[in-house]
Amino acid sequence: MELSRLPGFLLRRVLKSVAVILAIVVCNFLLIHAAPGDPATVMAGQSGAADPQYMEQLRRQFGLDQPLTTQLWIYLKGVLQLDLGFSHRQQAGVAGLIMDRLPATLLLTGAAFLIAISGGVAMGALAARRVGTWADSVITVIALAFYATPLFWVGLMLVLLFSVYLEWLPSFGMSDPSLNATGLALAWDVAQHLVLPAVTLGLFYLAVYARLTRATMLEVADQDFVKTARAKGVPEGRVLRAHVLRNALLPVITFAGIQAGQLVGGSILVETVFAWPGIGRLAFEALLARDYQVLMGVFFITSVMVVLFNLLTDLLYALIDPRVEVA
Amino acid sequence: MELLRRFARHPGAVVGAVTLLLVLAVALLAPVLFPGSPWDMAGAPFSPPGEDGMLLGSDSLGRDVAAGIAYGARVSLLVGAVSTAVSILIGVALGALAGYLGGVVDDAVMRFTEFFQTIPSFVLAILLVAIFTPSITSIVAAIAIVSWPPVARVVRAEFLSLRNREFVQAAEVLGKRPIAIVLTDILPNALSPIIVLASLNTASAILLESSLSFLGLGDPNLMSWGFLIGSGRSVIRLAWWMSVFPGIAIFVTVLALNLIGEGLSDAMNPRLRKRGAR
Amino acid sequence: MKLTRRNLLAGAGSAPLLMSASVALAQGVQPKRGGVLNVILNPEPPVLQIGVNNQTPTLICGTKITQGLLKFSPTLDPLPELAKSWTVSPDGLEYVFRLQENVKWHDGRPFTADDVIYSVMTFNREIAPRLRGVLSGVAEATAPDPHTVRFVLKQAFQPFLLCFDATALPIVPKHVYDGSDIRANPANARPIGTGPFKFVEWQRGNFVRMERFEGYWKPGQPYLDGILWRVIPDGQSRRLAIQSGQVHMTTATDIEPFDIPALRQAPNLNVTTKGWEYFSPLFWFEVNHRVKPFDDKRVRQAMSMALDRNFIVNRLWFGLGKAATGPVASTTRFYDANAKLPPFDVNKAKALLDEAGLRANAQGVRGSFKYVIPPYGEIWNRMGEYFRQAMRQIGFEVTLESTDAGTWGSRIANWDYEATSNVLYQFGDPTLGVERSYVSSNIQKILFTNTAGYSNPRVDELFAKARTSSAEADRRAAFSEVQKILVEDVPLLWVVEVNYPTVTDKRLHNAVQLGTGDHASYDDVFLA
Repeated sequence: MELSRLPGFLLRRVLKSVAVILAIVVCNFLLIHAAPGDPATVMAGQSGAADPQYMEQLRRQFGLDQPLTTQLWIYLKGVLQLDLGFSHRQQAGVAGLIMDRLPATLLLTGAAFLIAISGGVAMGALAARRVGTWADSVITVIALAFYATPLFWVGLMLVLLFSVYLEWLPSFGMSDPSLNATGLALAWDVAQHLVLPAVTLGLFYLAVYARLTRATMLEVADQDFVKTARAKGVPEGRVLRAHVLRNALLPVITFAGIQAGQLVGGSILVETVFAWPGIGRLAFEALLARDYQVLMGVFFITSVMVVLFNLLTDLLYALIDPRVEVA
Repeated sequence: MELLRRFARHPGAVVGAVTLLLVLAVALLAPVLFPGSPWDMAGAPFSPPGEDGMLLGSDSLGRDVAAGIAYGARVSLLVGAVSTAVSILIGVALGALAGYLGGVVDDAVMRFTEFFQTIPSFVLAILLVAIFTPSITSIVAAIAIVSWPPVARVVRAEFLSLRNREFVQAAEVLGKRPIAIVLTDILPNALSPIIVLASLNTASAILLESSLSFLGLGDPNLMSWGFLIGSGRSVIRLAWWMSVFPGIAIFVTVLALNLIGEGLSDAMNPRLRKRGAR
Repeated sequence: MKLTRRNLLAGAGSAPLLMSASVALAQGVQPKRGGVLNVILNPEPPVLQIGVNNQTPTLICGTKITQGLLKFSPTLDPLPELAKSWTVSPDGLEYVFRLQENVKWHDGRPFTADDVIYSVMTFNREIAPRLRGVLSGVAEATAPDPHTVRFVLKQAFQPFLLCFDATALPIVPKHVYDGSDIRANPANARPIGTGPFKFVEWQRGNFVRMERFEGYWKPGQPYLDGILWRVIPDGQSRRLAIQSGQVHMTTATDIEPFDIPALRQAPNLNVTTKGWEYFSPLFWFEVNHRVKPFDDKRVRQAMSMALDRNFIVNRLWFGLGKAATGPVASTTRFYDANAKLPPFDVNKAKALLDEAGLRANAQGVRGSFKYVIPPYGEIWNRMGEYFRQAMRQIGFEVTLESTDAGTWGSRIANWDYEATSNVLYQFGDPTLGVERSYVSSNIQKILFTNTAGYSNPRVDELFAKARTSSAEADRRAAFSEVQKILVEDVPLLWVVEVNYPTVTDKRLHNAVQLGTGDHASYDDVFLA
């Protein structure tokens, strides 16, 4: 694509994305409010006592006494001004609650992503290079195995092995607050806590990337520009690195863009198993407590993230058309 | 037949198919192998595997884990099959509509698909099941709802390319009704990627069901593998067998389905197969 | 020590000091200053101000910051806390509390009688649903001097003193709350109290940090430098944390019952089920009397007989409880040991169902109904699964329904259920914690009322009599008769008197001394 057409393309994409996100916000709102029960009944249930006045107080405070359309309108107005509302249950602003938790999730998913993409691409490339050999078979089987194992089960097994029997790594939390660590000591502590959850979350995607890389590399290797390079006598290692792998990475990147948003889903499981204080758990707990505002806030943020990643990969594609590489 | 022969040449696929048949057999024979209900508190709680007459041990209420796995196979396979069928139905219908009609319809369908792909699928599934209270119906529906978009995309792409082929145009010229063209001319030619997707989707549906059950969002009346792991998780230090064996059951089944999918994909797409064997 | 008029009238200031000193001496350990107590907080409470939220974690965590006028021994005798002594007039209408002097709020302002009057008459009356009825019976609340509070009741109410525990009637700073929207007050997340520990930091999803309040009113106390509350949502991680010494204490439902036998064996841990006498949680299966055939008392009797309570206690609760014998927990006052449910007997249960006209068909099925599982954890699921198997034995097919907290709460509140289970606290006196589930005036579309819809004029009458009578003997007679009627009518299928375990590290001392157990202020708790 020519650069001059980029702004128009971007504008159209952004407008479309905003429309999708707004539709998601409205749908989430309706879906969440369609459920029987509301935050007031949850709070009453947990308090062990209630009377009509109490329920009425809670509902008034939560704004639940308003008609649904009014509530939706208020919420939409807020979202358009980037105000995600207030969690009456937790007595805190939703944006703040999410921002408190987002770094933990980004750290976890980022680390998992690195593990997945580096390990996956390396394994996939190796398998493609040695296609048909025992190395290829071993890698394929390993990848398939990771792919077929439930994420939470891997987490449990890792805990069983590394925390319970070997006692090498902590099994829960993001840091040990009783250490009162700061600076480097804190970083080291967090790193130790990060290993098991990041590996758990990473392994599944590692399998995906390994398979994807292998498949696309085999496909690219068959294309003419690679054959030309080989014919020109370019060493095989260089052919693979400079031509095959480089081009094979594009679909991997596309997939990574799609998966980036899905990582939040996986992180619900991993954050639950490892007590990781991220937004996956925040969302799940908000769902169980019918904390509408928080739940919708998390949905909004993750949708925005997915849309952003999609936009980025589209952009990447628009800017670096693979055919440009061939020439 | 040719297809079958090509499939049979794929060792992984054969292993997968045999394994799946075994799992199916266990599922069908569950009432014969383990008479009575898997919920019966049959023995002492937390018996290790092999003791108290229970091959794979017992759980916290003395229920037989092996019986649970056998009955769980029924639920997991059923959930996998039904939700996949539903998701394929939705995906094929929408994808065919978009691919065949093109234009505004295509655009609308693709926006709709995009919308579903933007919400993290697992989160959406959790939300749906939680809101419509966990039951086999809501679980199947939720899994189907989050897994149709890739099907729709693939079918649309196939239809887009098949739509302009000569045999389709010939049929149109002959005055065949569009619905007939779609069903008898285009769809059969687009079948192979759909079948591959179906086997892979079944695998991920089983994984998804187990994840939902693990989070406590399973159907409490049905013994599923996810339920077994979920209830075994809290006692993993006391009774590892409660979560290890059902985990292996899921692993084996999902692996088998993936192997079958891969074998099918290779068998139906000889071009790729040839290259794979370079 | 029995609760008699004499004890009530002469609450003495020396009892708690004597008690904690004696506990420490009995263990041969001198109180030691220093150290941070690590405790598990689960599930994470939404706010930390007692009253604004009354979940167990909020209460356990909040009682270290916020105090009450009184506290209660394991036999439910009142002991001084913010009130150093009190008197009750012989007609049971006038209550006068003498307050501790030199008490400061965490923000440095002095604590006075005004705070007490505000807390009782405004704060709690506004937001405490359980006590609203009791508190609206206070005709007059005055402060003769800054350290004396006098309440005059419209009519005698014998359990009045029991309402003054920190968990029921927290004393909050008037200068912080007065004139504000109580539920939206920022202090709810960073409470200001008179307690031995003040709030420092809350990293949501991770921990709550409290530190010693240097201006605490008991000289030399608290002994601990601070308390760190760690949020650990996974049950097995919690067990690992206490076992490995990373935390010093777990409370309530932190540890799953099946883990307790192993923890009892651990050399570094103590396990106690004491400290829940004030609450005395009672677990029951509940059926909706508006649904046939649950309106027939023979059916309910049969269902009750089909439950093997000893099996439930031993196999599901791993001994953390006692088979319930009736509507009143055996740990509370006015329990009548003579009123007992008929024992476990499947054949007799079947005979009763036959008699009620519910004959079994060829498959042995008499009927089917749905059971809504409360969404509060593993044990609730196991209880549901047990219930289904037990009912199958007498010919009922039970379908289980999973719910989340919102759905469960609204369905039970709207009477939209056939069967479910529940746990209710009894608060030491049947008028406070038992009456609400059985009197017909409390049949409401609200959780924790008489949602089952049981109605018996004689029961209503007896509860009313016990509520307003000031003579203990009269109340006892009324409650005994109520219990006899209820075990015959079986409005609810009482199953277990739950004993929640408190697991403590052996280095931790004085963690459970009161009838409210770990809901105490912890000013005398120490690590050694």
